[in-house]
Amino acid sequence: MNTAALLGPYHADRVLAWESGHPMTYGRFLSDVGTLADLLPEKPTVINLAEDRYRFLIGFAAALVRGQTTLLPPSRAPGALAQIAREYSNSYCLVDGSEHVEQLPSYQIPKGTQNPTDSAKVPQIPVDHPAVVAFTSGSTGHPHPHSKTWGSLVAIARSTGARLGLKTSDQMTVVATVPHQHMYGLEASIMLPLQHGMAFHVGRPLFPEDVRLALAEVPSPRMLVTTPLHIRACVTARLRLPPVECILSATAPLSSSFAKQAETLFHTTVYEVYGFTEAGSLATRRTIDESIWHVLDGITLHQESAGCSLHAPYLRGPIPFPDLVSLQGPHRFVLHGRGTDLVNIGGHRGSLSDLSQKLNEIEGVQDGVFFLPDDTGASVTRLIAFAVAPGKAAEHILSALRAVIDPLFLPRPLHLVPRLPRNETGKLTREALLGLMQDLQKEERHGI
Amino acid sequence: MSDVSPLEMEVAKLIIRTLTLKVDPAQIQPEAPLFGDGLGLDSIDALELSLAISQSYGHQIRSDDPDTVATFASLRSLCQSIEKHRTK
Repeated sequence: MNTAALLGPYHADRVLAWESGHPMTYGRFLSDVGTLADLLPEKPTVINLAEDRYRFLIGFAAALVRGQTTLLPPSRAPGALAQIAREYSNSYCLVDGSEHVEQLPSYQIPKGTQNPTDSAKVPQIPVDHPAVVAFTSGSTGHPHPHSKTWGSLVAIARSTGARLGLKTSDQMTVVATVPHQHMYGLEASIMLPLQHGMAFHVGRPLFPEDVRLALAEVPSPRMLVTTPLHIRACVTARLRLPPVECILSATAPLSSSFAKQAETLFHTTVYEVYGFTEAGSLATRRTIDESIWHVLDGITLHQESAGCSLHAPYLRGPIPFPDLVSLQGPHRFVLHGRGTDLVNIGGHRGSLSDLSQKLNEIEGVQDGVFFLPDDTGASVTRLIAFAVAPGKAAEHILSALRAVIDPLFLPRPLHLVPRLPRNETGKLTREALLGLMQDLQKEERHGI
Repeated sequence: MSDVSPLEMEVAKLIIRTLTLKVDPAQIQPEAPLFGDGLGLDSIDALELSLAISQSYGHQIRSDDPDTVATFASLRSLCQSIEKHRTK
């Protein structure tokens, strides 16, 4: 049976996790995993809700050792958890607080032992074992499951580390603002450190000041795993961060302006990771340098009649891109926008993401989005844009936009708003944008 | 809303403006919870709000403050925290 080790190079005394300045070693980790694995119930699937990154990892690893699969619910909302619980009724929950999921038995992940055994052996996990199941929202309203093998998680962690030039000897420590129950969080804040002998901070800082404190609690060199939302917050707060070797951003496009500001302000290098649930992380770029994405080693891109797809040794078959991309050979591509973002205005085809990106590049625009409202019965339905641009007039932004986009795509109107209705992962849903538009129209009618 | 201080009124307006809430500032009860059952704000709202507060008052909010949970508990507790830490 083909297997891959639970972790990269193993040194029992090396630090894996930092909790309030207190180190927990790889040796202790293996001991904690062994202890918990013996206690887990005999069930195929587990929902691991632990908030503490170290305790989540003990639960995740113990499940792997027992041949179980960790389910990654799309959200922690009780309704979303209940739906997963109904579809995977022979599951149990691992928690580190008072959370629970209706209908499922819950088990506390213990705080762990203080006395690691020296003779711990690194567990080997079959590469084709379904380590996690992630979900995408399907058109039917049912979450659609995507099984990830242990081999794919390991391969992506190794190729991402190779791309970033991570060396085991660096002993870098990750501070992450993203939840480890999401694919990007799992890949970048759990798998990446685990496969490279690195460490992580157990917390999940939210406010800029939290980020600063979490970074200060861990030794250098440091890596910040985060999102455009948090980068914008840290840049706007003009934080003085402890030295950060590199910042990794994903979940939404980062504007090169914020990437540049972050690089200058924090004396760091900002990389973006691109991926989607079906394939996992698959490409990176240094945002300030270029718009071209470079796929991770082992991945090849193919142009097919229906669109572009990617191949990787750890994927069962070719996977189509859900987004609009154009290939620059088998290993590089340009991202033009989300596939569902294609619009046709008066016969001109454009991508909402592409337009939004151009809006975000305008000086003074902190956040912005283009949006196609429902058909109003007019001959041509025009795009609407929302922009967060304190101190800027709509006319100023429109004239800047006019310089870079087809006039047919100019928003009618451009609404200046204090904030966009982004959800927990920083995404803007169509529902939220429709709601914002309706609210603004109501205000106009009432003359507010 | 008879016992509302000028700062509370000012911060209520800041919250509404920052989070594009559709409520009248006078409707925010100073003692009512801002998150969860109250105004129903989430962690991203908290992040946005913390930025607005740091820009307006120079107070950097953080989660592990001893009186943290407290800070965002209500409009009143938020204003007390701003009053205590403000630099502008």
